[in-house]
Amino acid sequence: MIELRNLTKKFGQFTAVEHLNLTIESGEFFGLLGANGAGKTTTIGMLSTLLLPTEGEIVVDGQRLSRKTPELKRRFSVVTQEYSMRQDMTMDEIMEYQGRLYYMPVKKIRGRSAQLLEFCGLAPYHRRTVRKLSGGMKRRLMVARALLTEPEILLLDEPTAGMDALARRQMWNLLRSLNERNLTILLTTHYMEEAQSLCGRVAFLKQGSLQEVDTPGHLIEALGMYAVDVHTPEGAVSRFFAEREQAVAYLSAQKEQCELRETTLEDVFVEREAK
Amino acid sequence: MGIVTILWEKWREFRRDFYKITLAAMIAPLMYLVVFGIGVQTMSHGEPYLNFLIPGVVSLTTMNGSFNAIAQNLNVQRLYEKAFDQVMISPTPLWQFVVGQVIGGSLRGLYAGFVILVLVWPVHTGLIFDGWSFLILFLNGAVFSVIGVVVSFYAKSHTDVPRFSNYVIMPMAYLCNTFFSTEQMPRGLREAVGILPLSQTSGMIRSIAKGEGFAAVGILILAAYLIVFGLLAFLFLYRKKNL
Repeated sequence: MIELRNLTKKFGQFTAVEHLNLTIESGEFFGLLGANGAGKTTTIGMLSTLLLPTEGEIVVDGQRLSRKTPELKRRFSVVTQEYSMRQDMTMDEIMEYQGRLYYMPVKKIRGRSAQLLEFCGLAPYHRRTVRKLSGGMKRRLMVARALLTEPEILLLDEPTAGMDALARRQMWNLLRSLNERNLTILLTTHYMEEAQSLCGRVAFLKQGSLQEVDTPGHLIEALGMYAVDVHTPEGAVSRFFAEREQAVAYLSAQKEQCELRETTLEDVFVEREAK
Repeated sequence: MGIVTILWEKWREFRRDFYKITLAAMIAPLMYLVVFGIGVQTMSHGEPYLNFLIPGVVSLTTMNGSFNAIAQNLNVQRLYEKAFDQVMISPTPLWQFVVGQVIGGSLRGLYAGFVILVLVWPVHTGLIFDGWSFLILFLNGAVFSVIGVVVSFYAKSHTDVPRFSNYVIMPMAYLCNTFFSTEQMPRGLREAVGILPLSQTSGMIRSIAKGEGFAAVGILILAAYLIVFGLLAFLFLYRKKNL
């Protein structure tokens, strides 16, 4: 279980995360959502100990996380938002370096690395240096690298950014299968359909503060299961309804072009951000 | 274990860039030796200037070799590639990372110094380089490696490292008992420059090369630099709020 207790991070006068209290259960697939600058990456930064909290603490199974707790850090793997790899290393070297940093025996590193690169569709390029890889390949390599160490907790900071639709779906399948094996996953993303599809619970952050934590289903239900988009000259305006009949009745009364659809987590996000 | 990992990383780097590293280590010192030792044939302190020059050039080569192996590389890893995050996130204790960098950098400096010794071997100067010489050169490399670690950590941009080289490393290369004795400097400046690590190393290496003993205080001074800059590196890694 990961507990964020009163977690605050300030950069000078700017407060990026403010008194964040959050509990993530073991084996949970948890989404951290919010607009740019909401504090998602800062929170991941503190969980990965790249940033130290200004106030508060992170507790994992009763133990306080810090840069001096290697046994706790051993349980984490992180896929950072930026490509954090040496450009002059080959894929094999990147994997071996990671394994060695996590004290894995070299034989095990090589075997598991070959499997993961194969799994991520990178095996034919294992001798290619990072600087010669495409953005999508770098992302997949970062995920393969994170999985090499068999973590219990996986922190993913926008892992599918820059991926094409097919690669993204493949990544979703991979993450789902990992979570089914009881891996705790904390995901930040700007793709709401990704969070809706993958996460058991999501937290909305706004300007560093926690707004709400719930399942995507409950959040959608609270807004209204059905949406009617009315296309006005000023742009599309959405209205939400709990019942389909209400939505149909509203739709019938409109003179402008309209459409009826199911509400998504993206609607929840947009409505919250617009307030 | 973490130290071995960092040394493994350094070894891969060395193996991959072997020719570049070797050539880079040779060019500047070789020029100094050709120009000041062979081109401008002169005597200094009652002996051929080359005999005075070689220990100084070997010392400054280990300094440059070690500093350059660490500072720019680590700075790029931290600020541009973000590859340093991989280490920060991992369970490898950060002190082991620093120690690995220092040993790796020091070995690179020692290699650069060794290349110069091989190059001047045919000259038959009669200079002596023994186990103590290599130990002192290793220590000198360790000092400048840890300075490289600290500079790369505290640098805010890629241009900060070359700037440090320009303002600190290059003047040291010329002034610290390498091309001429610090004894010829005016009072005040002489003591200030004399306490610098390269002055100590050059002095000790030169004494050994001439078959004289060396003042062990020089080793203590180098050790003191190593400890102070090592603490600064640890302070950064464990206390810095935002890496």
